Amino acid sequence: MTCSDTRELFSALADDALAPGERDALQAHLAGCAECRRELAGFERTLRRVRAMDPGRAPAGFVERVLAAARPEPWPRRLARRLFVPWPKVPLGVAAGLLIAGLAVLLFRGSPEQQVAARYEGAPPAATGEAVPPAPAPTPAAPAATREPAPPPPTAARDTAPPAATPPPAAAPQDSAARQLDAPKKADAANQRMADQRASESTGSKTLAAPEGKGQEAFGEALRAKREPEQRAQAPAPVEQFANKQPEIAPKDAADSMSKLRRDAPPPVGAAESQRRERAVEPDRTVAGAARAPAMAQVAPLSRTGPMTGIPAVPPDVTAQLRVADPAGAERALLELAARVGGRQTGRRIDDGRVAVEVAVPRDAYAQFVREAAALGALAIDRQTLASPTIRTEIRLEPQSP
Amino acid sequence: MRESLGADPPGLLERLRAGEPRAFEELVIAYQHRVFGVALRMLGSRAEAEEIAQEVFLRAHRAVADFRGDARLGTWLYAIASRLCLNRLASPDRRVARGDAALADVPAATPDAADAFERAQRDAALRAAIAELPEDRRIVLVLRDVEGLTYDEIAEALALEPGTVRSRLHRARLQLKEKLEPFA
Repeated sequence: MTCSDTRELFSALADDALAPGERDALQAHLAGCAECRRELAGFERTLRRVRAMDPGRAPAGFVERVLAAARPEPWPRRLARRLFVPWPKVPLGVAAGLLIAGLAVLLFRGSPEQQVAARYEGAPPAATGEAVPPAPAPTPAAPAATREPAPPPPTAARDTAPPAATPPPAAAPQDSAARQLDAPKKADAANQRMADQRASESTGSKTLAAPEGKGQEAFGEALRAKREPEQRAQAPAPVEQFANKQPEIAPKDAADSMSKLRRDAPPPVGAAESQRRERAVEPDRTVAGAARAPAMAQVAPLSRTGPMTGIPAVPPDVTAQLRVADPAGAERALLELAARVGGRQTGRRIDDGRVAVEVAVPRDAYAQFVREAAALGALAIDRQTLASPTIRTEIRLEPQSP
Repeated sequence: MRESLGADPPGLLERLRAGEPRAFEELVIAYQHRVFGVALRMLGSRAEAEEIAQEVFLRAHRAVADFRGDARLGTWLYAIASRLCLNRLASPDRRVARGDAALADVPAATPDAADAFERAQRDAALRAAIAELPEDRRIVLVLRDVEGLTYDEIAEALALEPGTVRSRLHRARLQLKEKLEPFA
């Protein structure tokens, strides 16, 4: 047996896993080879050190946290998720179109002035003998209703109309639109969903392998439950992401769909008067839109650039303030900077009218991050702990006083 | 090194399959330290280890009805933990620096006032050396020399041939020896 052969057997020797023949040959070689004996001594010393390591113990409260995560989700949250999760699968343009159509129908039915105006606008085609559908579909009615505000209070309908992304009015128009499209099928599906919901409610708390506990979805549920705010929450849960994203995306898509509806809509039939009115109303819209724009920008300027979550309750490693002339621009620059040094955005909130962003930055890149962040404005670090390999840094953006 | 994996608590698997909540709690209590220990030694971060360990038990909770019982529950949990750790280490999203302070937050087993500094230095070197092992060797070393599994149990948990386990373990130990000799 060579020295190399002998050393290949050291592990098996240490684990008492040698065949009798191998053991004898090994012992014979060791008896005559001081170098291999020294190697074996070093090998056994290393092994003793590894085996003397503390194997590690789960932290206090671990069992309770696992049990809580495995517990079925409370029914209101599950119901909310089941209601809202399927919607992202619908193309946003279509969803926004349906939403607007539904809103328009509601407004049209709810406002006697607009009904009068629409009847007035609808009269000329009938008079000129053009074909008019006996019961106008809601979608064409939408542009008509919004394009032609009733003369007596020209801005009343716009001002009182709820925003497109506000949940309560959104639900009604969607239901209404769905009824008009394929009501029986959707009603069946909804009933089925509710029936499943009730079934899972009744068994979920009693059995380990509850129906919703199967498949990837169930594991996602468990993980989402696990990432409750009171626990350590590094990544935003999908539900939270969606819940935060939805109202931010909706206004733009709603506006796009609105303008598309306007483009696609048939021109007002012989209504020079209405065109004149439309031109007169348009500047009002522009002014109102411009007035709203800064507020929107302050609330959610970066909705498509990263996770929009509340900053977790766990205190960050670093808290700092950045005083800048342009907080929105500085926020973008901070996120770009974080991405450039290998970090990412992990949270964002509005605190007393100020934006606070949280980014996770690798510790190695933290110094560079701070250097470059300080170049964006006056940076003041309140608290700093650099023990973790990833430094969670919360930066509050303060507008610079003139 | 931990004591070797014993037999499953009697009747636990059947009670788990029957959906008894108390049985799941017993499972977590019985194996929490083992599962957490593997994740800690593989990932080096207590926070990440806890996250993975929770995930192991949640997966077991979901899949126990389909668990055939060919292996012991402990081996099964080690298998899930090993797979999740290796997946996490291979994930491009994982930004925890490898090899630097990995495993540094693991406290030393017996802090001794007399030679605390020297011991701390040796422990840090040992943890760093383990963290620098290739992942396929590290998992075998952790399961054998920290968790105390047998070659056959490791082979079962990692779905490897026993000969592969033996070879990887030996390479890992030799690599550790080379790195740790200066601190001997």
